Amino acid sequence: MKAILYILEHDFRNFFRYKWWLVGLVSMNLADLFIMAIVYNHMISQAIAQEIKSYFNFFAPGLAVTGLFASAFMIGREINMERRREVHHYMLSLPMTRLELAIGRVLSGGLRGMLYMSPLLLTCFVFLGFPTIWELLLILAVLFLLATGISGLSISIAVSTSSLEKFITARGLVYYTLFFCSSVFYPLSLIQQLGRDGKFPAALVTLAEINPLSNASDMIRSFLIPNYQVFSPASVISILFFSTIFTFGAAFAYMKIIERT
Amino acid sequence: MTLYSAAIFIGFDIYEEAEHGVFEYLLSLPVSRRQLVIGRSIGGGIRSFIYVGPLIAISLYVIGSLNPLWFLISLFALFLFSFGVSGMSITIAVLIKSSDRFDILMGVLDALIVRLSTAMYPLAIVQAANPFYGGVASFNPVTFAADLFRWGTGVPEIITLKNPLLPFLGIIAFFAFFTFVGIIIYERHIEGGGWQ
Repeated sequence: MKAILYILEHDFRNFFRYKWWLVGLVSMNLADLFIMAIVYNHMISQAIAQEIKSYFNFFAPGLAVTGLFASAFMIGREINMERRREVHHYMLSLPMTRLELAIGRVLSGGLRGMLYMSPLLLTCFVFLGFPTIWELLLILAVLFLLATGISGLSISIAVSTSSLEKFITARGLVYYTLFFCSSVFYPLSLIQQLGRDGKFPAALVTLAEINPLSNASDMIRSFLIPNYQVFSPASVISILFFSTIFTFGAAFAYMKIIERT
Repeated sequence: MTLYSAAIFIGFDIYEEAEHGVFEYLLSLPVSRRQLVIGRSIGGGIRSFIYVGPLIAISLYVIGSLNPLWFLISLFALFLFSFGVSGMSITIAVLIKSSDRFDILMGVLDALIVRLSTAMYPLAIVQAANPFYGGVASFNPVTFAADLFRWGTGVPEIITLKNPLLPFLGIIAFFAFFTFVGIIIYERHIEGGGWQ
């Protein structure tokens, strides 16, 4: 356990090395909310407006999930860099088991995501209203699971790609598929309707439905936006499933692939 | 949006050159400081244009229509815009000489300049949403570039400009300011180290 704490400390120190970059990222997220979302309020159709009331309110939870995703994914870039610069030999020489090292890396990625996301989630609560204590605990627990799963996904990609270019390409592919095929930016009902009208491939509609980003965003919305869709425990199970696969998959991949020369 | 983000990258290159000592080599070359900054602005502008070339081709294919003369004029305006953004990036990089500060300033500037423009939504909607946002968007070079590109396609449904001359002049002013003021700032700040 102590070894995992050392890894957490190491990764958090690294995280704060990028503080200026993080400030830039936060300002971009806030500009998305306070400029883009406010302008989009005036562009949505009557039918959508009836469902989501205000695009600003709809987008705020999605933005918190977007921030969580981006920051939890950062651990992959660091691990990929360590692998390319052969710093991983030093990491492997530390007096801890491979499992502690792997779990520590996945956990730190998730916790860093939670830390980055917290001001965005707080902004969301300030404008949409605060949830009850049980709802808040559920939101935090689900977001932590999601962050750990994303961190695991990122680490799996990082250890499977040998160059920065390949990592960035894979990251871009995962980023845009998961972001745009989700209910982060638009309601799931709209994607489903497009699917029924034959304007959106059925496979992508299914992906949007099972996407953990959709589930997490809609769960927060169901607690904060009145008359929005009712909270479904299936969304928590879906995120738990995603998180379990990628946390253990990443830990296993990290332990096995990192030892290869 | 992509043209703006790609043209900004020249500033990050300058910090990398300063970090690796390439800057001293560039200063030792038999070219004047003025030629160096103009060359870098043009280089930054052209490479960002090459980067967005396929995107322009795809958008034209999707739109499916083109007015050749208008399009050439709008393309020229986009060239000037990308040179201007490169010049702005170089000017800011040389002026502040700190990669951390540059990182945050560019992040904030990118966030504001792109979102407070008509790249993603029409000006009338921005003005309806917030008059202040509309005021800023009206004088934003990204707005000028985006609206001129739409005008250049010649498709009436997406044209938002009544008179393309004003945004065209706006882009020329933006280009001229950051190229020529950039030269003066570059000449004054380039030497003496102090890079962080």
